[in-house]
Amino acid sequence: MIAATGMQVIGLSALLLAGLGVVFAAVLLAASIKLKVATDPKVEQIHAVLPKVDCGACGFAGCASYAKAVAADASLIGRCSPGGAATSAKIAAVLNLQISEGSAPKRPIVHCRAVREDKTFYAAYRGIEGCTSANAQPNVQACAFGCLGFGDCVQRCRFDALHIVNGLAVVDYDKCTGCGACVAGCPRGLIEMVPFTHEPMLTVACSSRENGKTTRSMCAVGCIGCGLCARQSDLFAVKDNLARMDYARYQPSEATETARQKCPTKVIVFRGKGAPADEKVSKTPAAAGAAS
Amino acid sequence: MHTFETLLLGFLGIVIVNNLVFTKFLGICPYLGVSGRIDMAFGMGCAVTFVVTLAGTLTWLIDHLVLMPYGLDVLRYVCFILVIAGAVQLVEMYVRKFFPVLYDSFGIFLPLITTNCAILGMCLFINLWGIDNLPEAVVLSIGAGLGFTLAICMMAGIRENLELADVPPVLRGAPITLITAGLLTLAFMGFAGMIR
Ligand code: SF4
Ligand code: SF4
Repeated sequence: MIAATGMQVIGLSALLLAGLGVVFAAVLLAASIKLKVATDPKVEQIHAVLPKVDCGACGFAGCASYAKAVAADASLIGRCSPGGAATSAKIAAVLNLQISEGSAPKRPIVHCRAVREDKTFYAAYRGIEGCTSANAQPNVQACAFGCLGFGDCVQRCRFDALHIVNGLAVVDYDKCTGCGACVAGCPRGLIEMVPFTHEPMLTVACSSRENGKTTRSMCAVGCIGCGLCARQSDLFAVKDNLARMDYARYQPSEATETARQKCPTKVIVFRGKGAPADEKVSKTPAAAGAAS
Repeated sequence: MHTFETLLLGFLGIVIVNNLVFTKFLGICPYLGVSGRIDMAFGMGCAVTFVVTLAGTLTWLIDHLVLMPYGLDVLRYVCFILVIAGAVQLVEMYVRKFFPVLYDSFGIFLPLITTNCAILGMCLFINLWGIDNLPEAVVLSIGAGLGFTLAICMMAGIRENLELADVPPVLRGAPITLITAGLLTLAFMGFAGMIR
């Protein structure tokens, strides 16, 4: 053995690795030329217009598999939620197809708007840090429908578009691609993918199905099912003590604006790009006052 | 004659007695992942056999011609992985060209051969067992690959039949597969210590 020390070993190692790398690269290059598979140029073109985030929302293993599938079966167009309508249009262009106006891109809405101060806690939760485990315990927080704030959904998001702000999951719509991964993360099913026909979108940010009195006693900003909004506009409907909106039909109007303002707990809020900043996370004194 | 005997014994040893899957529990993920159907399992076995043969041989050469003489043993893992990754790329291109159907059904498991511990394991075992001549290294590598093929094909055969069997609902899918794997291993334990 040749005694090699210090710098020598490092030099030799570098040399050896570089050498091996070059040799293998050469072999692989030769092989790739020899074994080249003629792929359908359409597949490549489609792949080029996909967002290439490989999120899997389309139901395929990744953008490459989706490109292949959609080239073979055009009815699969429109599965790519990060790309949205623009991508569908591009795919259609590659395939020489006309598509009807695509539906609005779906974005997640967190149906809760109670930050820590708004919620009622019976005791501090000291279990495993995580919504799923916290949800398995009764009475972690008074409201069994509210955001637990441990961020199981945050972990699902690969685009840094979800954050826990003061105990509440908040979507950063500038970063959100609409892949829908977060939905599965929430053990309480608070996150719903909603077609954003408008930006920002009016939403009912609560899931509590308790009756008004109970909701009020637990949460400063929960929906009490009073039905004021439903009286303003038929977009709203109250069922199980909870107001819901028909997101697909949403059209901003005077009626919806009145409903938003009349809501006693201010649970009807704008979400999405360009939503009023103070509405993103509730800190409005009006809401707190309503509970008193 | 002596060498031939050693080679034969070594070969049988690695295929049956010291089977990497059954006795060292290496390469379990493809073993359970692509053993659903015999044809796929066989394809996987061939791919692994090719890679491990190439990798075993090349790494032995690199180890004995370069690494050890120059005292670069620290680089062993890096070099081995480099060789394996290269070989896997080769296989991938080859399979893609000539067996497109197989290529599609492998999905992620084909590139994952790169991280198949049975292969790196074999390369390291060759060194660990102090194999100091090339023929033996080659034979052992092929044997390791064939052993893997044997294991995965047996598993696939059993699982194909399991599909038809009346398995209690709780055990369907992964549990019964794991139990089967355990029983198979137990059966092969019977050979333990017969060679080497
Ligand atoms: S949904 Fe779109 S971005 Fe996500 S993997 Fe499929 S093609 Fe790629
Ligand atoms: S918040 Fe994240 S995980 Fe949820 S839809 Fe948007 S990008 Fe996907």
